[in-house]
Amino acid sequence: MSSKKFLMTLILVVLLPLVGCQAKDQQQTTEPAVGDWLLAHMLSDPEQLNPLTSNDGGASSILGYIFQGLLTRDPHTLELKPLLAESQPAISDDKLSYTFKIRRDAHFQDGHPLTGEDLLFSIKAIKCPLVNAPFLRVYYDSVVDARLVDQYTIQFVTKEPYFLNESVLGGIDVLPRHYYDPDDLLKKVTVRDLSRGGSGLPEEVKRFADQFNKNFSRNPMGSGPYKFLKWETGQEVLLERDDNYWGKGKAGIDQPYLYLFRFRVINNMDAALVSLKSGGLDTMRLQPLQHVKQTSSSRFESEFQKFMYFSPGYTYIGWNNAHPIFRDKRVRKAMTYLTNRNQMVKTILSGLGQVVDSPIYYFRPEYDKTLESTPFDPERALGLLREAGWRDTDGDGVLDKLIDGKKVPFRFEIKFNSGNPTRKSVALILQDELKKHGIQATVRQLDWTIYLDDVRNHRFDAMILGWGMSVNDPDAFQVWHSTQAANKGSNMISYKNAQVDEILETYRSEFDPKKRIELYRKFQQILHEDQPYTFLFMPKSVSAVQRRFQGVEVLPIGGLRPLEWWVPPESQKFTSKPTA
Amino acid sequence: MAVNSGRGEGYWSYVWRQFKRNRLAVMGLYAVMGLFFLAIFADFLANDKPYYMRYQDRTYFPIFRSYLVRLGVGSWPLELLNVNFKELDSQRSIFPPIPYRSNGIDLTVPFSNPSQTHWLGTDKLGRDLMAGIIHGSRISLSIGFVAVGISLVIGIVLGALAGFFGSWVDLVISRLFELMLAIPTFFLLITIAALLPPSIFLTMAVIGLTSWVGIARFTRNEFLRIRNLDYVTAAIALGVSSRKVMFRHILPNALAPVMVSVALGIAAAILVESGLSFLGIGVPADLVTWGSILNEARSNSFAWWLVVFPGAAIFITVLAYYLVGEGLRDALDPRLRGS
Amino acid sequence: MWRYIFQRILLFLPTFIGITLISFLIMRLAPGDPAELLAGGGLAAAGASGISLEKRGAVDQALAQWRAQYGLDRPLHIQYGMWLKNLFALDFGVSFKDNQPVFGKILDRLPVTIKLNILSIFLVYLVAIPLGIYSATHSYSFGDQVTTLFAFILFSLPVVWAGTMALTFLCGGDFFYLFPPAGLTSIDYSPNWPLWERLKDQVWHLFLPVLLLSYAQFAGLSRYMRTGMREVLSQDYVRTARAKGLSETKVVYKHVLRNSLIPMVTILASILPGLIGGSIIIETIFSIPGLGQLGYQAVLARDYPTVMAIFTVSSLLALVGILLSDILLTMVDPRIAFGRREQ
Repeated sequence: MSSKKFLMTLILVVLLPLVGCQAKDQQQTTEPAVGDWLLAHMLSDPEQLNPLTSNDGGASSILGYIFQGLLTRDPHTLELKPLLAESQPAISDDKLSYTFKIRRDAHFQDGHPLTGEDLLFSIKAIKCPLVNAPFLRVYYDSVVDARLVDQYTIQFVTKEPYFLNESVLGGIDVLPRHYYDPDDLLKKVTVRDLSRGGSGLPEEVKRFADQFNKNFSRNPMGSGPYKFLKWETGQEVLLERDDNYWGKGKAGIDQPYLYLFRFRVINNMDAALVSLKSGGLDTMRLQPLQHVKQTSSSRFESEFQKFMYFSPGYTYIGWNNAHPIFRDKRVRKAMTYLTNRNQMVKTILSGLGQVVDSPIYYFRPEYDKTLESTPFDPERALGLLREAGWRDTDGDGVLDKLIDGKKVPFRFEIKFNSGNPTRKSVALILQDELKKHGIQATVRQLDWTIYLDDVRNHRFDAMILGWGMSVNDPDAFQVWHSTQAANKGSNMISYKNAQVDEILETYRSEFDPKKRIELYRKFQQILHEDQPYTFLFMPKSVSAVQRRFQGVEVLPIGGLRPLEWWVPPESQKFTSKPTA
Repeated sequence: MAVNSGRGEGYWSYVWRQFKRNRLAVMGLYAVMGLFFLAIFADFLANDKPYYMRYQDRTYFPIFRSYLVRLGVGSWPLELLNVNFKELDSQRSIFPPIPYRSNGIDLTVPFSNPSQTHWLGTDKLGRDLMAGIIHGSRISLSIGFVAVGISLVIGIVLGALAGFFGSWVDLVISRLFELMLAIPTFFLLITIAALLPPSIFLTMAVIGLTSWVGIARFTRNEFLRIRNLDYVTAAIALGVSSRKVMFRHILPNALAPVMVSVALGIAAAILVESGLSFLGIGVPADLVTWGSILNEARSNSFAWWLVVFPGAAIFITVLAYYLVGEGLRDALDPRLRGS
Repeated sequence: MWRYIFQRILLFLPTFIGITLISFLIMRLAPGDPAELLAGGGLAAAGASGISLEKRGAVDQALAQWRAQYGLDRPLHIQYGMWLKNLFALDFGVSFKDNQPVFGKILDRLPVTIKLNILSIFLVYLVAIPLGIYSATHSYSFGDQVTTLFAFILFSLPVVWAGTMALTFLCGGDFFYLFPPAGLTSIDYSPNWPLWERLKDQVWHLFLPVLLLSYAQFAGLSRYMRTGMREVLSQDYVRTARAKGLSETKVVYKHVLRNSLIPMVTILASILPGLIGGSIIIETIFSIPGLGQLGYQAVLARDYPTVMAIFTVSSLLALVGILLSDILLTMVDPRIAFGRREQ
């Protein structure tokens, strides 16, 4: 260490008790200490930091440090715990009303106290049809009314009983009314009015929506442990620890230790790795090949620790169930036999993945582990195809069959989007394998927006896509119910099964978790029989973290949680407090 | 033209003699010819089918037969349908020097270093790089022809019209020149190529549609100059139709500088295409081109062979065309003669 | 002279309208819907594990609402008309991605792109002019042949290759670490640093991108210089000067150089349009937040206002460049008549 650094560390060690930080005894480095910065990696600039209108994943991970909701999920047990609420809500017998009591000691990052008024404002802002958040709004469709019982109690009314309502309501980001609506323009309008529709709303509402959409993209302010400090476009976003965090020192609330989060924007993974190795980053997610080939040196190991974890979500091949060839479930099942999924995980993901056979997150209790994973078995596939009527009758090397009186060769097109090497590799490998058995597949790579358009309008034979999920209780209605095949819904393959429909409907109003698990077991078994998708794999992520950080662990909630990290004073690298 | 010979061949053989004196240009020409050879005979240099095979007491010539099948006049016998020729238990077979297809996936050897079995290594799906480079030459060559062909046609027609008729025709067409010059071409290219379904021909066509201005301007200037020469004014006075004057009398003499633009244009088109496929635009997913290999190499930079060799291929090709173009320019330039 | 300028500007108008019309039509007629993109989770979802199932629901009405908000449901010619009208008020509209005024976003990134390109032009002239002079005065010598070959090599080197090689071998990774692989400034760059430190850091970051942006033009420009100079050198008045007894250097620098610089000036005009497009690749390779990157991302995201704004701005720059070079040309070389009277 240079003499300058040594001196700084010495001063810090001596001054810490005077400053009165969390660390009680500097010699003991097992107690979390405050200080140091985290240089994290972002692949691209967030579009904007308005908590309601922003639409990208990068923004939401940053906003997650700034805003909070009534409830939160315990990262270890996955249970819903009260955060801004005092306790779990009181639910009415008809399961339509939820009453939350708000804590009295919570306040926003500028010191202003947090009350029911802010809660009411937050739900009004979401429901306001002129606020530029149409995709968030439909998520809150079931909320029809909200009113303040008293200054610290709020009651929500929902449209129909749905066991996920509690987590939906608990997840509302609480926005400070005095900051986002200083003139209180939304005061007079009610949630019921807003739910009704766009026209006929008073002038103030229009004015509010206008300024809310325009003026708040780069200056979020909430009640969370980290404050927004600065955003250098295209370069980095800075979040600073709130010294006056309302939850400071309180039991059961996560404490912030690091002074500063610097999210550095580096669009190129290679460049990011170089930055990591040269000290420009403290942590980043590694790509599979980087993990396997470029980060195994002893020097790297001595500086960084690697953590592996699964992210909820899966990649799949979607067969158009309305297509004449793929209408038949034997054909679909044969396709799955012809997809060498384990080999794909090995080659494409360098082993960083896990084959899955169901749409439920692998680590949730609902996942049916008794399902027998479909192996790679071309023999069985060909047997099934023959059974379904496919054989090469004209000697041209391509299977064919009489469908509706016409001879149809087994030719189809696999579509996928550009910008995703994994899906491209899956398509090419599948094409290669199919060719050996007389099936001619062409591949077509499309620009992402065009692809989305095609997929939603069911213009495809087969497509490769992925779903991103969360660790929360699953609800497969959106993707698998037959009504969702119309209107550009998420049932893009047009899957229709009456039994599945019934299960999905009953599930939503079932409030007993054990019964829900049973229902979903049956659901997965039917899907396994039908093979509407060929489920591929769930990706495994690898993150490298600089060794000076303590408290780093993989959590059941999914991955790492920098909020809990800290650095012992003697190892701290950045010791100054940031200025804007 | 300083040298005024009566017959056309005299002029061009003079140019050829000048050209030959330039060693670099001649080397470039050899390289271009080499590329042509690679492109035409790609199937015979790198293929996973053998030239000749003796199997179960019958003789086959798979590569030739594959051409017949593709033309629709032949078909594969049952025992050879969809087989992997390398795995057949043949009595005798002769394979091409590089026994791989450019897009032959082999998941057992991803990212392998250059070695005995794969002379230049393989990419992430085990596709042989040498085969990829050899077959990729076809794309690179066609880019030149299609793209430059299109810009040639547009450029000559517009330039001729502008230079010959002058006045308001020239005014309007010159505005068109300005428009094409002012538009950020690469950006326009990206926009069009990214939005349309990826097809290599479409990309080439678009490149051609955006790069004709240079040729047009040359043509226009030449037409302007030649139009005022005596023999042209004579022809017009005699009542020869405009079209005939333009294409029979002026054009052949105006072509010389255009030739230079063609060679340079091919070089430029190849560079542009490599830029586009580097960004992942314009190339269908199952086609292997030099630029697409570089694109995949971007995120896997430890596989240095995927960066070095395709790039070198583009470099050599572009250099060759450029040398030929510059050599032509020097050979055609009357002011350089006799110095 | 002023009448000429005025005429030219008037003539630019149809060109300008043509450009905006083209960019409008291309974006709007192309397939792909920005509303759908936002519903799917933005551009990031293309690479990520997939479309998020979290905040989703029946989106049709949401999409319709969104489109109405941006006027995308009106007929095309009305949309174009409105956009043009706003343009004259210098209002480029707001970006679909984040509701920020496009003008502001462009202004944010303009300095970076301009810095990159000005440095590049500077470097090109710095290198190409001496090279050209040397080549012209020592024609066909060994030195000339070497520089010529070198220039050719530079021209043929694909930027994608040179850039990727530089990134692989020089910017950390498995080989050498001579230059930073990304960004404009170091992690702990601070405006409080002394000027010298700041300059050093910026130069260190910009060196490779500027070099990569410029090298291809060393060849072209120096060749042009060479040809131009040789032509002048063989002119009568130069021979006269030599006969008068002027030293070779004086001949070169006083008479020849001035007249050879004329074509160089015109080249400047043709460089300006390439500013924005040319840096897309460099900006992508080195993660530099410039206009090229902004435009590229905007195309992918169907962010119509941003794309059209960038088209417009860069076309304007180009037209200004053309006008400037024409004017400069007429100022420097009175032999060229205004309005092309010989036609």
